[in-house]
Amino acid sequence: MGVMTDVLDVTGVHHRYGATTALAGVDLRLAPGECVALLGPNSAGKTPVVGLATGLLAVQAGDVRVCGGDPRRAATRRHLGIVQQSMGFPPTETVGELLRGAAVRAGRPAAAASPAMAEAGVSQLRSRRVRKLSGGQQQRVALAMALVGDPDLLLLDEPTVGLDIAARRDFWRAIAARRDAGAAIVLTTHIVEEAAAVADRVVVLHRGRVVAADTPAGLTARLSDRTIAARTTLDDVALRALPGVLSVTRDGTRVRVATVEPERVLRDWLARDHELTDLRVEGAGLEQALFALTGEDPGTAGGNADPDTHTDLGTAKLEVPA
Amino acid sequence: MTAAIGTRPPAHGLRILRVEVAEGLRAIVREPTALFFSVLFPVGFYALFTTIFGGQQGFVAGLPYAATNLATFGAFGVVSVMLMNPGTAVAEDRTRGWLRVKKVSAVPIGTTIAAKVIAALPYAVAVMLAFSAVSLLVAGPVLEFGSWTRLMVALLVGSLPFALLSLAVGFVLSAGASAAVLNAVLLPMAVASGLWFPLEMMPPFVQNLAPLLPTYHLSRLALAQLTGADAGVHVVALLISTAVAAALSGWAYRNLRV
Repeated sequence: MGVMTDVLDVTGVHHRYGATTALAGVDLRLAPGECVALLGPNSAGKTPVVGLATGLLAVQAGDVRVCGGDPRRAATRRHLGIVQQSMGFPPTETVGELLRGAAVRAGRPAAAASPAMAEAGVSQLRSRRVRKLSGGQQQRVALAMALVGDPDLLLLDEPTVGLDIAARRDFWRAIAARRDAGAAIVLTTHIVEEAAAVADRVVVLHRGRVVAADTPAGLTARLSDRTIAARTTLDDVALRALPGVLSVTRDGTRVRVATVEPERVLRDWLARDHELTDLRVEGAGLEQALFALTGEDPGTAGGNADPDTHTDLGTAKLEVPA
Repeated sequence: MTAAIGTRPPAHGLRILRVEVAEGLRAIVREPTALFFSVLFPVGFYALFTTIFGGQQGFVAGLPYAATNLATFGAFGVVSVMLMNPGTAVAEDRTRGWLRVKKVSAVPIGTTIAAKVIAALPYAVAVMLAFSAVSLLVAGPVLEFGSWTRLMVALLVGSLPFALLSLAVGFVLSAGASAAVLNAVLLPMAVASGLWFPLEMMPPFVQNLAPLLPTYHLSRLALAQLTGADAGVHVVALLISTAVAAALSGWAYRNLRV
């Protein structure tokens, strides 16, 4: 019986940029068909991990293997498909030319471009020059390029930036199909809800170390925090004065109050504001878990400022009609 | 999905090379402005010098100025386009992020670099055809077809180390900085190698410096195609230049920060 090789095997990796430690003993393994999200604040170490897995960076200490091979070797990189936030396509190329080129570079016949374009929903763009594509269309072309080589490992770096809701859904549907076929996926994103929705495992990096690795539900279950969201006439000072309130943030016209004593806070809040409306109590989300694990502001840890990106994570919610 | 890592036959490498070269050529054909202006400057100077001195005797005995200038100023022409264009093009690719995509693809480093060099050759061909046309218009036919063909081949092949050097700079610097650095290298090297004015007109220290420069050996190799002189030493010098420039560009690509 054969032994299944990890698609990605990162073992005891240390990496430095001059005097700055980027990674300090990181281990990460991905089996075929597994999806792992790398999360953490800026400079946590996500970029060096991706750089090592793609062969952009040379291993200084430890070991990095992709399908058992050294990613610094071109032959090993045939196992990779990569979507990054900006691909920098040559503006003079057409989509079809880009895809045929990507197929050949990946060791596949140029004809493999057509099914990949269909899979990413860009077949109708095949004759269009890249400079005439919107940002969202370019991201879909990037997806087609990543899929055309039939990769064992998909590295997705902020892959859905610029995509509208429908395109984002199609994107994840295509990725899910590849995952079902056995491709492993590494996702780095600032859209924490998206990571929670698609990843089997979340690896939280902080200052070059893995500080947590668990399922999204497992990470959020570590927190007893609750968030109460509502429209209120009370100002922030009055809200902070309520016993049990940990923090207060504003999200448009709604206010979000973090607490470990939601019942107590709600009783006092309702007593002071009889016009309280649009009330919702949520369990801790992955974003709060990240905040708790890294101790850094969710804004820099990957706070989601884009309301279009909201994904239902299945967290416990108490809806109170207005 | 593939289960094992294997080596691919050379035909696969050639297919990748063809794809890479085609991408570079399409960029030239679809945006010919860069080619036009790259060629315009050296051709303008060549036309000026040939118009003024074209009918005179050249500094090589028995050959008219228009013929020797096709070799020496021709060397300047191919070096200028091969030194300036590939480097600034890859620097722009790097700034846009395309070079990062290339580097994480399964394209071997040698193929990437070879494709960039080959895709730059149309610049050198264009500049030499333009020089030849100007020469023909101003001074009439000054070379036999065989000599002209040998001259063209020598200049095109001899321009390759300059494209490699250009790539080495472009892999490291931004497009703007690459252009500045490459210009700072090109102009002194051209003058000190006797590409603009005969070396015999230069001060002794410049004449002593010239044999250390690859541009000098390219112009002497080009002249040798007209005079029949032995060019062995110049070929060796250009081969060494090519090896050094290839090593530099390979190192720069391997250590690329993208």
